Amino acid sequence: MGKFLLLAFRNVFRNRRRTLMTLIMVGGGVTGLLLVGGFFARMFWGLRESTINDGLGHIQIFTAEHFNREEKHVLDTGIDNWRNVAASVSTGGHVRGIAPRIEFNGMLSNGVKSSVFMGSAVDPVAEQSLGFTPHLDAGRDLDTKPGGEIEALIGAGVARSMSVKPGDGLTLLAVTSDGALNGIDVQVVGIVNTGFKEMDDRYLRIALPSAQRLLQSDRVTNLVVGLDNTDNTDLVAAQMVPELNGLPQQLVLKKWIDLATYYKQVRSLFSTIFVFLGIIVFFMVLMSSVNTLLMAMFERTREIGTMLAMGTPRAWIMALFVIEAALLGLLGAIVGVVGGNLLGVLINHAGIHLPAPPGTTVPMTFRVMHVPSLMVGSSILVIVSLALASILPAIRASRLQIAEALTHV
Amino acid sequence: MPELVSVEAVTRQFPLDHNFVSALLSVNLRVVSGEFLAIAGPSGSGKSTLLNLIGCIDQPTSGRILIDGVDTSTLSPSRLTALRRLKIGFVFQTFNLIPVFTAAENVEFPLLVQGVSAADRRTRVTAALESVGLSSRANHRPDLLSGGERQRVAVARAIVHRPALVLADEPTANLDTQNATQLIDLMHDLNRRLGLTFIFSTHDARLLEHTDRIVRLTDGQVVSDSLTEKGTAAEALRHPAEFTQAPKESLSHGQVLTASL
Repeated sequence: MGKFLLLAFRNVFRNRRRTLMTLIMVGGGVTGLLLVGGFFARMFWGLRESTINDGLGHIQIFTAEHFNREEKHVLDTGIDNWRNVAASVSTGGHVRGIAPRIEFNGMLSNGVKSSVFMGSAVDPVAEQSLGFTPHLDAGRDLDTKPGGEIEALIGAGVARSMSVKPGDGLTLLAVTSDGALNGIDVQVVGIVNTGFKEMDDRYLRIALPSAQRLLQSDRVTNLVVGLDNTDNTDLVAAQMVPELNGLPQQLVLKKWIDLATYYKQVRSLFSTIFVFLGIIVFFMVLMSSVNTLLMAMFERTREIGTMLAMGTPRAWIMALFVIEAALLGLLGAIVGVVGGNLLGVLINHAGIHLPAPPGTTVPMTFRVMHVPSLMVGSSILVIVSLALASILPAIRASRLQIAEALTHV
Repeated sequence: MPELVSVEAVTRQFPLDHNFVSALLSVNLRVVSGEFLAIAGPSGSGKSTLLNLIGCIDQPTSGRILIDGVDTSTLSPSRLTALRRLKIGFVFQTFNLIPVFTAAENVEFPLLVQGVSAADRRTRVTAALESVGLSSRANHRPDLLSGGERQRVAVARAIVHRPALVLADEPTANLDTQNATQLIDLMHDLNRRLGLTFIFSTHDARLLEHTDRIVRLTDGQVVSDSLTEKGTAAEALRHPAEFTQAPKESLSHGQVLTASL
């Protein structure tokens, strides 16, 4: 078997120019896949981390009824004694912190004009400790030591439509847990740019005690858990479930992936594009290699005839061609992986900027991630492509009429 | 001596346009083990076709060929492959060495196909290369060998697995006279020392005096089948009691030479 592999290996280098061309083609395919896949992977990673760090957190805890609640009574289904809940689930080694939130809706007014908002009440200290800091276009974040005026952050769209700037006042109106309409005056301290226009047009953030006063409740809608590493999400979630089950209120947890709808849509779209690209590379390698391998087979017709005359089983001849093609694929994959990684380093070093993706307002940098699974997957793809491309030449070679093959010129 | 090859009323036709052309016409031939036989004739006389049929790399249109008593027409393709692998060695006009293998690796190939162990392969390859005088060229690739050396490697490859029969189709056609004579003498020497049966085709009349027996083909028919002086001496040594006097020339075509064997 060793000699047979040696024969296959040496045959690969028999026509060096042709082998070089094939390696460039196969390697180019792998490089292309690695660069595009690496860019997508970096984009997924960036989107994942920004989604988490923009406030989604790694895990969120809700009451079981939360997802069936009526919008106007947000705290009817809120978490009681949230501090106890937070204490009971923050014992794991990977939990960096827990931030209570109230997600609520209402109206805001500047005395002249009114608009709806999608509000979020937070504990500024907990949020900052977890790194959930909003991207401010103007002003500052909520004060971690509140006192005096009730502070608020509003989206850039809200600020534009209401014609307010940091330092201006607004009135918030919301329905309390008893069903009454309540209102508070707030002072705008910062203008936030979330990167998404639809969000910026509705965004409002105030401190937790202010919202509890507005909504007349001590409850919170959810607890946001921040971890040391996103990769530990599943582990920590599995550890938290028994803890939550031991509490008097029926609580459920959602991992970030369950809540990151936009991330999932983006990932699904770009993954489909990548699969399509992979299929193109697969067929590109397949079709161009068939011709090359057929040429190699015709050139070696007499040699194959000789081997068959000497009693070499036809299956061995087939195997020889398939192994040669697979070796060619392997070498092409190595060329592609090396080339792809080198190019990736160069591109990352160059810092190429891309326009802002659709639906966002922040430009992105073209960065490529080095993904081992992508390298293995792309390599397997081209090796399989070449092995499949060799089947037709291999069958033809194995079916040669020996007497005719021996007279082939 | 046991009969190794028996060609019985073999005809081989090839399609040409809308007709058939006969490369061999009702040929009969019997070869016993240990013979050193030349098939002579001009180009197109059917020499290569006959060797191909004996070598089981082609099928007769009619008639049958027996190798070691086995009717090859009854064998499946895989059994024919096995028969070639075990019992037949080939030497080709254009050497047909695998260019990416060294001389030793080329000689090793038939053993590789037979599944012989690595240690055994080494021993036998060394012996085969020694027997053709190419031990010092074992690690050279074919492109670094002369024509004569390449053909000797091909001979070593053909005999390394000790086949019952070695078929050589115009083995000297691409060699100069000196190398051609040396090659025939080498094959004859191997025939005598190892008892291997050699059948080779040639159209070079100068080489025929180095053989034991000459079968002449013309237009696909055996026109003569005769022993040479060397052949007479060899047969006399082999069968002293039975040996009388071998016919020198002109057995009519189709007649089988068995009288003195």
